[in-house]
Amino acid sequence: MSIRFRSLMLALLFGVFATPAWALAPVQEPVPAEEPPPEGEEDVEEVVEGEVVDQGAVQGEEVIEGPVEDPNSPYLAVVGGDVYTVTRGVILDGTVLCKDGRILKVGQSVSIPDGARTVNAEGMRIYPGLVAVDSRGIIPGRGTDSVDSFDPFALYVDLALAGGLTTVQSRGTIGKLTRGTLNGHLLGTTSWVEISYSSSSPSGRRSTRARLETAREYLRYLRAFELDKELEKKDLVEPESKGIPMDFVGLLKGERMARFRGNTASDLIAICELLEEFPMRSVIVGGREAWTMAPRIGRAGASMVLTPRAKDWADSELNRPSGWSIENARILWDSGVEFAILPGQSGISLGGLAGRDLLTLPMEVAFAIRGGLSQDAALRSITLDAARILGVADRIGSIEVGKDADLIIADGDLFDYRTFVQWAVVNGRVAYDKQKASYFAHIRPRDEEGPSPVEVLLEDITDGEDVVEGPVEIDAPEVDPPSGGSGGR
Amino acid sequence: MIVSLLLSALPLVAPQGDEPTGQAIVYRLDYIETLAGDALENASIVIRDGVIERIGQAVIVPDNARVIDLRGSGSFAMPPFVLGQSSNLLPGDSRSSGGNGRYIAAGVYRADDEVLSDLREAGVLLMGLVPPGAGIPGRTSVLRSDASDLMEDALVRDLHLTMTIDMSKSSKDLLRKAFESAEQAIEKEEKARADWEKARKEWEEKQKAKAEEAKKKEGESKSDKSAGEPSKDEGKEPPKEFTAPRVDPNIQPLIDLIRKERVVQIWVGSPGEWLHWLDVVGDREFAWEVVLDHGSSTNLHEVADAIAGTGVRVFLPARIPVLPSTQLRTNLAAELVAAGVEKLVLLPSSTRSMNAVESWRVGLGDLVREGLDRQTALRAVSVEPATSMGQEELIAPLEAGGPATFVVLEGDPLNPLARVSHLVAAGEVIYDRAKEDKEN
Repeated sequence: MSIRFRSLMLALLFGVFATPAWALAPVQEPVPAEEPPPEGEEDVEEVVEGEVVDQGAVQGEEVIEGPVEDPNSPYLAVVGGDVYTVTRGVILDGTVLCKDGRILKVGQSVSIPDGARTVNAEGMRIYPGLVAVDSRGIIPGRGTDSVDSFDPFALYVDLALAGGLTTVQSRGTIGKLTRGTLNGHLLGTTSWVEISYSSSSPSGRRSTRARLETAREYLRYLRAFELDKELEKKDLVEPESKGIPMDFVGLLKGERMARFRGNTASDLIAICELLEEFPMRSVIVGGREAWTMAPRIGRAGASMVLTPRAKDWADSELNRPSGWSIENARILWDSGVEFAILPGQSGISLGGLAGRDLLTLPMEVAFAIRGGLSQDAALRSITLDAARILGVADRIGSIEVGKDADLIIADGDLFDYRTFVQWAVVNGRVAYDKQKASYFAHIRPRDEEGPSPVEVLLEDITDGEDVVEGPVEIDAPEVDPPSGGSGGR
Repeated sequence: MIVSLLLSALPLVAPQGDEPTGQAIVYRLDYIETLAGDALENASIVIRDGVIERIGQAVIVPDNARVIDLRGSGSFAMPPFVLGQSSNLLPGDSRSSGGNGRYIAAGVYRADDEVLSDLREAGVLLMGLVPPGAGIPGRTSVLRSDASDLMEDALVRDLHLTMTIDMSKSSKDLLRKAFESAEQAIEKEEKARADWEKARKEWEEKQKAKAEEAKKKEGESKSDKSAGEPSKDEGKEPPKEFTAPRVDPNIQPLIDLIRKERVVQIWVGSPGEWLHWLDVVGDREFAWEVVLDHGSSTNLHEVADAIAGTGVRVFLPARIPVLPSTQLRTNLAAELVAAGVEKLVLLPSSTRSMNAVESWRVGLGDLVREGLDRQTALRAVSVEPATSMGQEELIAPLEAGGPATFVVLEGDPLNPLARVSHLVAAGEVIYDRAKEDKEN
């Protein structure tokens, strides 16, 4: 309603229309006529608010919350939690600002643009979303087409998010748990070459070696041919690729990754020997006795997928260490072996990746921590190192500027059995909210003021060395939010 | 005395010009839910020639009118029930899944006296027939419950196209490819038309030039014999009328769709399927309606806002589902209305069983008791599905000038114990419980 019209209405009400100059009066003195005192007070408040926002925009000294959250804002701010960045230690009482699905700023003093959606993570811990290098039944899998079969509202997607997972690999598809949308689901594919190299099949080993040798021979000819071509030699014959195991060529070229399965020391040694002869990117799934020969695996450069609770008793006949060890992960870490951790079941089941039970992925990792693995290494094994094994560490696995905004907000230490994931953020969208999903909302509901009961129960488990004292900000130097300005102090 | 004489003489004088000819029939009822405004208590409907002449609490009863007084028994009139979708309710052929756009439901099913009589008894005047199967099962038809032969009596033989989607690549590919084929066919036809127009134009110009040349030659030398004969290189005359290239009959309905000459009804069972359907639609623009075909549990409320945002007509079962793997009841219909869905059609909990039709009003009552607006619910089982079928002239809110099509129940329609006593279609009584009871 225009001021003129409102004034006119008021004028009519007050009977001003009786005076001959009624038509001019509203234009000349609109404010006293139309504004009752309480509204005037509100106006003054608005001006003050405006000033504060202006100061923030200019000086960038205070964290200013946008007055109203705009559900369509490109910004999402996770405010006030301890940020476990994985790559740059812990930022206490920090803010992660995301824009358009990516992390824009991380730090203790980050200005939040007007209208940004916010998650109040006060007293909680912000971790990168967890990554499962293998899974069953959460996403359909099978290459880039799998998005056509993905159910973004599936119960298992919810439960996986509740377990802290935001990215899983399934049958060659690396998919994000983009609950409620198909957009941004597909992160990539793994074109792993499955190699059977078990002591139980000597013929299998022979054929694997033979194929690798054929591939290497082919590559030699190919390189010679390409060199000759560069030198512009004449009468060149391109090496025949027919009958050549091209997947093995891809392995030797470093374009693809080999996946072995091996648990016993003898199998692991054989794999290491093969890798020493034919260097290639590789991951070994299993590795129960890897602790007995960790330096060897470290030298072979293989990554591993471990299950700390997978047990196999020592063989008393052997004149060497054997069987499983709860220290397996710690020993491998000390030898520089990169590994991801998976539970024995990679589906949503009892003792699987996630579910209604306690034994979710972080709990499997907790067994490795019990065996001496540091908290940092433990976190890496289900975030950054898992992402590295999948070849997507440029996008996910740590809280860094420019990476995908995949975060989980936990109400305590991730590896404590009492901890719940309160929110999961995928591509800058809140994909899971414990209070809104039906599974755990009623267990220790989140409505209390102050730190969560879990937080109170727990001691601060950080070693201290990684905790950044004082204000720290990891900032994108070139990118600034349009309305918030730089938050640097 | 004179007045009464005059009055009795009036009908004799009356048949002139546009004056009504037929006999007026008056239904006196305890309640009328007109769906055009508030419910009327102790009111009457005056009908003549299949049209409502007057409706209201104080209407003048015309002379010679036949009065059917149903007052005092809790009688309740409203527009009749319309079964928005039914599949396999009538006996018929089974069909496999796939791209079967050529099938028409009326050609798949057979009219079954028993089912139709049960429908009339349930106060259902129209039923939408959906061809069986998944993927693109075919096109829907509309049947009146007083029909006797489906092939002859189908009210509408060829109406909407039906599609179903599930969360599989094959299902999405089937629909994607169908759309692509239709788009290619349209492109092909446009090209053929352009080619024909060009050829026709060229031929006509050639003929014109030739005629002129012949005229010229005629003027120059009348003796030249070859002038009048047609030369051999002139080619065949392109046809005068353009004939479109033959189109796969399974694809034709999709072409109609893209040309906005047809509506598609997409069957979606879960919010994921809804997203996948939007993915298939992409940038395409065409008219569609959505059938939310959920079971006893659903989380379709997750996409209620998105569905409302599209403004499409929404069909869903009249039942209260629970959230998946919980006992939490969710009034999806009410949530959809709250989200802004305006065109709502409520179906029986199953589209394929007469039992479900009989318990339809039980589910409807549940929805209203748990938050759905009463009039919205009643519209959703009568006027709204009729509109989807293009039958506004047969079934509409009860107003003067509108069609005299209504159902009379022995009580409130949301009370499942209230039986249907009359079903009137355009003034004609097609079900009368008292009469049927007498016959049996």
